[in-house]
Amino acid sequence: MTPEFLVRAAIVILVVFVAAIYIFTLRVRSGRMPLLRRIRAFDVLQGLPGRAIEAGRDLHLSLGVGSLVNETTADSLAGLAVLDYLAEQAAATGVSPTISMADPTVMLFAQNTLRAAHTGDSDRAEEAYRHIRWIAPQPAAYAAGVMNILNIDQVEANVMVGSFGDEYLLMGETAARQDMAHIGGTSNPNTLPFIYASAQETLLGEEIYAAGAYLQKRPAHLGSLAAQDLMRWLVALFVLAGIVIASVS
Amino acid sequence: MILRSGRVLATVVAIVVGLFVLADVFVTAWGASNGLAQAINGVGYFLVSWAAIITAFALFLGFANVVSVHWSRIRTQKSGAVYSLVLLISLFGTLAFGIGGPLSANGQFIFNYILQPLEATLFALLALFIATAAFRAFRVRNMETFFFVLFALIVLLGQVPVSIYLWPEFPVIKDWILNVPTLAGVRGILLGVALGVIATGLRVLVGADRPYTD
Repeated sequence: MTPEFLVRAAIVILVVFVAAIYIFTLRVRSGRMPLLRRIRAFDVLQGLPGRAIEAGRDLHLSLGVGSLVNETTADSLAGLAVLDYLAEQAAATGVSPTISMADPTVMLFAQNTLRAAHTGDSDRAEEAYRHIRWIAPQPAAYAAGVMNILNIDQVEANVMVGSFGDEYLLMGETAARQDMAHIGGTSNPNTLPFIYASAQETLLGEEIYAAGAYLQKRPAHLGSLAAQDLMRWLVALFVLAGIVIASVS
Repeated sequence: MILRSGRVLATVVAIVVGLFVLADVFVTAWGASNGLAQAINGVGYFLVSWAAIITAFALFLGFANVVSVHWSRIRTQKSGAVYSLVLLISLFGTLAFGIGGPLSANGQFIFNYILQPLEATLFALLALFIATAAFRAFRVRNMETFFFVLFALIVLLGQVPVSIYLWPEFPVIKDWILNVPTLAGVRGILLGVALGVIATGLRVLVGADRPYTD
């Protein structure tokens, strides 16, 4: 296959994807909601802010070691979608979660998310800012910082959604030993066994990108989930067609 | 009104910049070298360079965040304030000692004799943590965990040479587990992740998702 063919194919796929997102988003806006399968991690996550307030302890959200200027951007945005939900809850209850990250660009977006949630209340926004913790850009140093938060601060629940490597287990096991509520999610297949072994609830692979649809029912997110399903069927049909053609020829 | 105009401007800038960088990727893959292609490559390179500069400035803000958070912990005598003190002393000590940059003799000393051994020590803990995580994970609670434990045991036994004496088929079954169901599962996950990444990117690109505005 020539480069020209691959570029043309990529453009066609993107155009079909955008059209599908647009059409499904319009359907959601007109009241036709897609059926969402149950993901337990999101159900549990919705109860965590209240649980932390009742216990008088912190809720920690880790946005991972990813950045917003490289191939881990989508994972970091998935973590920020979870923060968006928790920031809304924090604006309503006045109790902000502790948010940690390894990349300073993610920190800027986290600050922006908290500011957006506390529009019109600069004092609360200022207070919420104090809960944002940029730790270190190196994964090992970041893991050490998060282990410190989980061990020393009074943390009731730990949510980790974003880009993670092997360092996940250092943090995940610390949370598991403290017997706190623990939700973990990433798209890296090499890290998924660590999450499965240490977290109580898991968001595996693409599930992390569904946070906006499940937690906030945003039309564009629900529409894009439906578009993803459509594209998945198309890919499956192409694979089956390829198998049939290869077998026959 | 001003706030709304700001949002619109930020969205327009994000969409235009995103389209330029995407076009740059396509033009580079195409291998075109005419005037328009060179212009798109130039603008794309320029915008990506800006991202690097912004990241460097964000690092300064991160530095300010570290100082602010830990100074506040020391001032209010929170639990673990002593660790915050050690951190700030290390931070400013490293800054003063390594003022010549990471390639200077002092900078190399810090990296080679402090930072790297500390990172190696921390990652060495992974072996212990894997053992404790496996101990917890290897408890059969339902059908899912039963298969998890069963497959894990077969793969474990298939990895060690002594398993041939127990049953010669262990390595064969281990290879089949890794090459067929595991690989199929990983490919399924990667396909879903790819679609999720594209959808996330497209939502930002068309302005349906605006994490950069209020």
